[in-house]
Amino acid sequence: MSRSTEAPLAERAIAADAREGMGARAGEPRNYVGIVRAIVLVVLAAVALTTPGFLSQPSILSLLTTISFIGCVAVGMTLITISGNIMSFALGALVGATAMIFVLAVNWGGFAFGLIAALAFAGLSNALQGFLIGWLRANPIIVSIAALALIYGVAEAFAAHGTIYAAAGTSYGGFKGRIAGIPVEFAVFLCVAALGQFILSLTTFGRNLFLIGSSFRAAEAVGVRTWRAITGAYLWAGLFTAPAGIMLAIRYDAASMNYGMGYEYDAIAAVLVGGTIIKGGEGSVLRTLAGALIIGVIQVVLVLQGLRTEWQYLIAGLVVLGVIALQTSGTRD
Amino acid sequence: MRPLFILAACIVGLALIDPQDVLTLATAASSLETFATIGLVALGLGLTMMIREFDLSVVGMYSMAGCIAVVMGGTHAWLGLACALAAGLAGGLAQGWLIMRLRLGSVGVTLGGLLVFAGVAYVVTENRALPYENMQVALGLSAPIGGIFSTRSLVAIAIFAAAALVIGLTRYGRDIIAIGSDRRGAMTAGVNVNVLVIGIFGFSGFCAALSGALLSYSLASASPAGLSDVIVPAAAAAILGGVSLAGGTGRPLGIAMGVLSLAVLRAGFNAVGAPPYVNGVAMGAILLIVAILDGPYLARRLHWLVRRRAH
Repeated sequence: MSRSTEAPLAERAIAADAREGMGARAGEPRNYVGIVRAIVLVVLAAVALTTPGFLSQPSILSLLTTISFIGCVAVGMTLITISGNIMSFALGALVGATAMIFVLAVNWGGFAFGLIAALAFAGLSNALQGFLIGWLRANPIIVSIAALALIYGVAEAFAAHGTIYAAAGTSYGGFKGRIAGIPVEFAVFLCVAALGQFILSLTTFGRNLFLIGSSFRAAEAVGVRTWRAITGAYLWAGLFTAPAGIMLAIRYDAASMNYGMGYEYDAIAAVLVGGTIIKGGEGSVLRTLAGALIIGVIQVVLVLQGLRTEWQYLIAGLVVLGVIALQTSGTRD
Repeated sequence: MRPLFILAACIVGLALIDPQDVLTLATAASSLETFATIGLVALGLGLTMMIREFDLSVVGMYSMAGCIAVVMGGTHAWLGLACALAAGLAGGLAQGWLIMRLRLGSVGVTLGGLLVFAGVAYVVTENRALPYENMQVALGLSAPIGGIFSTRSLVAIAIFAAAALVIGLTRYGRDIIAIGSDRRGAMTAGVNVNVLVIGIFGFSGFCAALSGALLSYSLASASPAGLSDVIVPAAAAAILGGVSLAGGTGRPLGIAMGVLSLAVLRAGFNAVGAPPYVNGVAMGAILLIVAILDGPYLARRLHWLVRRRAH
């Protein structure tokens, strides 16, 4: 699961160099970080398991459903982060826009047409951003902020009332409910995560993303067509984000731009909590899966412990900050 | 020069659409109100970008400060403002300290900060929108001064002027550019990098808190969920103002021009009666064009395209 064996020598040399430059401290920081991290996880697991009701079926099912929406976005975000492009601010807006396209297309041409239209829209609009970022080396943060403003603006122009409703009697062919006891949402999320991990670890494209993320110049020097890989990373990020929008639309029989609001922050939190490095070049979808689960478990535990909503927000924020502080320690440029 | 050019292009473009409605004192006043709302956030965020960091937490700080000010400032507005500013400064300094002491990336730390500050906003308001009863303060902050200014916009202008003077006339300005261009080189040259970086994050927190608190006072309400879309215009303004995410470039005056460009666009579109989404689309389009023009490979790709056509 760890990709550190594949981190190129150059990256390690730079990291070691930076440590010296910043005033080296005794010992390898990662060692004790690893210990603290293990303790935190054990404590979290202990608190969760001793919380009354945590192991009950409704609680587990709601946990699995909740993390699925943000999880899909986070899998897409993982590809962007690993490829060295930090994060995309537009994925939350993309969730809402995809949900809208899906509902419109289903109303017009049926369920299958809706799926195709939603996936095509999410993939292509994200790939276009990836093309600008990869081909022109345009700044990923600026491009995604511009895309965010454009998506919200265009959506507002087309849906002045804010919410689009599915036509009465729309059938989603078994996409509501459960498959073999687990929520459909979670099954979809698992498929997305499996596909993401497959792409990252078993394809040349995935290897190229790690190479580009850890050293763009090295990737160019060995002849990787960096613009194709980066465009591909954004294309897949869009395709992985689309199911979140589609599933939200199916769940509520409606779509609005409010659906994905703030998902980009939750998704990057899951990515970072899982331990994918913000600088790029190191990480995995499995880590993101773990990160999404950790955040989800914390939220469920807080609910079950009877804390009021506002305290849940604060404690979840503090835990994310703490986990980020622990996991990225000693890895700054 | 580019920030000034963009500002001029925005004004001329809007004036060509409808000079009678656009070139009025009301448009100027409305622009300055927008300037007061996003200007200081853009200044703080822009300074962190100049040292090659990125302060995501301004969004959370903005709404947290508004909530703290309204909760604490019910009877004494100054007390609420002081609490909000203290929280902003402390939050910013704490993040800067974490970044430097633990050598963490600023996006990660300030993302954590964003979630924590938003959480504090939910806790102090107990998860509801709060009205601010002190209407005198609310009206006083937005009351026009000299035709187009208000207390809020004068405060923002004063802080921009102070920042421009400090950065333009003291060695801090050069040190900031040096840190953004080459951090290790700056350290070797004797710049106190730790203090400056922590200080800039403190300043960014302070600025976000100040404009969040003043906005909540003038709207006479605070809500933990609202106000959250400030990062898009703030980042856009900083970038239009000549700040680069690669660090090492930018000036407070440039950021002010960037903010004014967006503010003029918003006020101008309102004045000509354009629907609200036009502003968002225009902002996104301008930002996208700037991103494309700034792409380091643009010249190389154009050259390649031209050569291919010649064959």
